[in-house]
Amino acid sequence: MIRQALAVFRKDLASELRTRYAINALLMFVVVTLAVIMFALAGETLSPGALTGMLWVVMFFAAMSGLSRSFVAEEERGTTMTLQLLATPMGVYLGKLLFNLVLVMALNLFIVLLFLLTMDQFVVKQFGLFWVVMLLGSLGIASATTIIAAIIAKANTKGTLFPVLSFPVLLPLLMAGINATKIAVEDQHWDAVWPDLQLLASYIVVITTVSFLLFDFVWKD
Amino acid sequence: MWWKILLFFWIAVLSSIGIVTPIAGDLGSLGMYAQMDAEKIIPVKFTVVDKGKVLTSKDGGGWLLRGRDAYGREADFHFPERPDNLDRAEGYFVSARYDSEHHRVEVHEVRGDAPAFSFPFIPGLEERAKIIFFHVPMAWMTVIAFLVSMWYGIRYLRKKDMEDDYRSAASAGLGLLFCILATTTGSLWAKFNWGSFWNWDPRETSIFVLLLIYGAYFALRSAIEIEEKRATLSAVYSIIAAVTVPFFIFIMPRIMPGLHPGSADDANAGPVLSSGGMDAAMRMVLYSMLGGFLALYIWLMRIRMRLHRIQLKRAETAP
Repeated sequence: MIRQALAVFRKDLASELRTRYAINALLMFVVVTLAVIMFALAGETLSPGALTGMLWVVMFFAAMSGLSRSFVAEEERGTTMTLQLLATPMGVYLGKLLFNLVLVMALNLFIVLLFLLTMDQFVVKQFGLFWVVMLLGSLGIASATTIIAAIIAKANTKGTLFPVLSFPVLLPLLMAGINATKIAVEDQHWDAVWPDLQLLASYIVVITTVSFLLFDFVWKD
Repeated sequence: MWWKILLFFWIAVLSSIGIVTPIAGDLGSLGMYAQMDAEKIIPVKFTVVDKGKVLTSKDGGGWLLRGRDAYGREADFHFPERPDNLDRAEGYFVSARYDSEHHRVEVHEVRGDAPAFSFPFIPGLEERAKIIFFHVPMAWMTVIAFLVSMWYGIRYLRKKDMEDDYRSAASAGLGLLFCILATTTGSLWAKFNWGSFWNWDPRETSIFVLLLIYGAYFALRSAIEIEEKRATLSAVYSIIAAVTVPFFIFIMPRIMPGLHPGSADDANAGPVLSSGGMDAAMRMVLYSMLGGFLALYIWLMRIRMRLHRIQLKRAETAP
């Protein structure tokens, strides 16, 4: 199963590197979004807390525009059947999850670096905690969106349906993530962030487990 | 048939009990406003301690009565004008405020005899407390309908029976109805009690998320044409959504401070229900109302299932 997962992951990575969809489209999406924010807020002084919210908005929409790709592309290229024959559902799910994880982590790293470079007022006081929250947030986004991408790949209106279905499922993660990031940015005490980190961790565990159990039903025709 | 008539009367009677029952305070609520220096006149009920023993007040005239409230606390009640049945009455229901200067309760208006059945006066809520009999059952039914929808979703995944899928969708439809009702009643109430229609209190967030989930569920259903695929995928989505719902219904409202009862800053918060601080009479009406709403939901579900069967039959017999 692990071997199959790695094979699916390598296949996705290879086809990604060939088409450079994520590298071109997603990175440009992030740059454009940040540019819009900077134009809209030119000359305004914003608190680090407000900028944290902005950061999560960019992260959410970047994920919404890119992460459905892994399953939708299979459906568009007509390779779903082949994959169903060659790999077990678990292998496919794990491979796709791994690919989405790498994609979302790279994307979020890029967003955060760009944010730190371009927004002068965005100063993070506790970098250790900040990276922990970013890592947990990326894990959560990847695990929740993978199964929803698998669902919407079978539907008619794929593009618009993805954020509609993802948002209510992602909201606990977003709320806890935004809160925890604010604490890291504003340098409050570590005790304050503990409930949020617990919530993030339990969310990831629960969503991944449920996705594991349900992927069979979504994948098989 | 008979249980539908019974249910109709059950809900009608409970609604009227919930609305008509007077809110009556006691000496505790009077004292509370006196300490806050608020010149607020509130409804109070009391029983007369020594029936027939009426004193004329020394300063400024009027009549004095010794009264006892539901908790056994006693105080002098000062009537500026002589009530009609002063010598006979067992108890009174009055509008009054506590007069700290004379250490007595100043009666402004006699509303009538003390009602046997009344709800307690809750400072800050007053008559508005009665929304609990309608709003809370609606919010509960929203969650229950969602869980039932998920339950039939799971059954569909196990048995692949299209009937289960229709039950799941029907329950989700009713849940959406209750969700909209709970949101609008709550929002209107919030305008008059908390000052604005929407405050992003954790419970408001949770009902909003449920609304979004129901919306997403129906958006997904309408986007898939193949019936089996639609049933499977919507069942899977409702399970995934149901997994995140406890975060909103049970975890978020309790770890965050909020306006609703049971928030992190509420002393009465319990693990699931926080009715510990609630009056026994109110709790009884609330739980009966919950039962009534549950039966109403079952009734509506049966109607929708019957409609579904008729539609299936017509589709079969159609040329």
